[in-house]
Amino acid sequence: MATQLVKCSRCKTIITIAGKPGDKLNLTCPQCNQKGVFTFPKEKIIQPLPGNLATIEVSNLTKTYNDFTAVNNISFHVKKGEIFGFLGPNGAGKTTTIKAMLDLLHADQGTIHLSGIDVRKHGKEAKKHVGYMPEKVAFYDNLTALQNLEFYAEIKHVSKEECPSLIKEFGLADAGKKRVGTFSKGMVQRLGMARAILGNPPILILDEPSGGLDPRGVVQIRDKIREMKKKGTTIFVSSHILSEIQEICDRVGIINKGILVAQDTVDGLRKKLSLKPQLTVTVDSLSTKIENAVRNLPGVDRVTAQQNTLEIICDGALKAKVILAITNAGGSIQNLQTKEPTLEEVFMRYTEA
Amino acid sequence: MRTNTVISIAKKEIMDNIRNKWIILVSVMFALLTLVISYFGSLGSSGWKDLGITISGMTQLGSFLISIVAFMLGYAAIIGEIERGSMSALLSLSTTRFEITVGKLLGLGAVLCTTILIGFGVAGLIIGLNVPNVDFIEYLVFIGITMIFGLVFLSLSLFFSTVFSKRSTALGGAIFLWFLFNIILPIILVGILATTIDFSTTLMDTTLVIPDWYHMANLFNPISVYSSLITMTIGPVQSNIDAGLIENPAWYTPSLLLGVLLAWIFVFFALAIWRFHLKDI
Repeated sequence: MATQLVKCSRCKTIITIAGKPGDKLNLTCPQCNQKGVFTFPKEKIIQPLPGNLATIEVSNLTKTYNDFTAVNNISFHVKKGEIFGFLGPNGAGKTTTIKAMLDLLHADQGTIHLSGIDVRKHGKEAKKHVGYMPEKVAFYDNLTALQNLEFYAEIKHVSKEECPSLIKEFGLADAGKKRVGTFSKGMVQRLGMARAILGNPPILILDEPSGGLDPRGVVQIRDKIREMKKKGTTIFVSSHILSEIQEICDRVGIINKGILVAQDTVDGLRKKLSLKPQLTVTVDSLSTKIENAVRNLPGVDRVTAQQNTLEIICDGALKAKVILAITNAGGSIQNLQTKEPTLEEVFMRYTEA
Repeated sequence: MRTNTVISIAKKEIMDNIRNKWIILVSVMFALLTLVISYFGSLGSSGWKDLGITISGMTQLGSFLISIVAFMLGYAAIIGEIERGSMSALLSLSTTRFEITVGKLLGLGAVLCTTILIGFGVAGLIIGLNVPNVDFIEYLVFIGITMIFGLVFLSLSLFFSTVFSKRSTALGGAIFLWFLFNIILPIILVGILATTIDFSTTLMDTTLVIPDWYHMANLFNPISVYSSLITMTIGPVQSNIDAGLIENPAWYTPSLLLGVLLAWIFVFFALAIWRFHLKDI
């Protein structure tokens, strides 16, 4: 007995059905009562269980090249609808991990499941669930943008009708009929994103999607990622633009020298490293008395004085006490700013030699 | 294997080669060369023999040219895409390395065969209009054998495209192989032959008896197999040989030669698939 997900032809509701290969079933859509017949394919069906749809599960992945271990026994999982940021310095093993996830290179050890399907065993089935944007986006230069996208639509077995609107959406409408060989790097990159989301795959794997883009392109890609998340797409994104990941990711994993050194929410990582926020207080006139009053507060890590400004690294909860101490010492506060530690700092801390 | 994936990939290869004007360029080159050979080959003689002379002239030139053309088509087919980065996108989709290799062989094979058909076909028609009693069937057989020969080199170059990790090394390998089959091997074999045959007895005879080992060694060179096959199957060329200079052993038959060419295609294609499977992209 196998299960299969079918989409209602009228209202697009997804229905789970069970049967044996070759079985012919009469179906009625529970939502709109549309009737239809479904014949189970003769070959073995490899379909995700509904609960596994759009999940990524990587366990004990290892990849070595001769003596060099590019990825060393890493494990992580990404839940449905989550954006997972994959961070690491150059050469840390990000692209190797992604390529192993798509079975582009043969892992030495470990298992990878996309939508619950084992990539190494049933690559063809598992990859049906993925849209991928490689680090080095390339197309067939002799073909136009539209011809390229239509080719990928054919291979993905999705409708070609979506292609012209996708090209337009990524600001390539004027260039749609031009050879991709004449495109700028930014245009190729945008077309690469269009190719990845072609056919609305449940999982998106993006390897440095903002590389080579101008600021407007970066914003466009970021908005697209958010939009795809709203649709329930699971997104795995590697990047070295840390601020970007910080903004859009639910969780991040940090890889360094092939080892996954941390995996948590951005806040969680900050807490683990006990990175404290920075308070910047400007007073009317700064005195040693005020400075010492702040410095002597328990929980204050560091105080730096510059003209009339104090930069204080302390627990976030200490803010009120700091203000009180300054006022008590005779200072009059002109301005106060709080800066949370950035992912950059978290990243630097985790990837220090 | 979903056939439409294979067909989509094959179609893409054809479209790609049409767009870069490859087919047109090479077809025109083939047609022009055939006409040149026919024109100079037919000076001072007339009739079907002229097309026979054209074919024997084309067999030599064709083996040089078609092997180059097939190599150029195929050497970068896989490694080129890996190097440029388009292979990772293609393989990230619901495709397999097997489907991609089959699609490439079909697509590039179609490009090569179309080029041969158009180039030699157009030239054949022009010759046919100027020369009486042309046997078009035999000319088509010649074109067919030439296509199979082209596919041998395409299959070889696809294999090369999976062996090396750089496009430039694959090109170097293809060039070396071209020299090996076209020049080095024949020179070595003829050299050995010349030093081992006892000319004192054979010169008395009208028939030169070539030893079996020479024929066997030639089976390992698709170019020799191709020219032998043309010589043995095409009537007019055959009649030139029938004058009686060379005698082939009984086992050296056209069907064996055809089988050998097909085996070359199959073996190297299988090796290409195997190598591609092992490759990290």
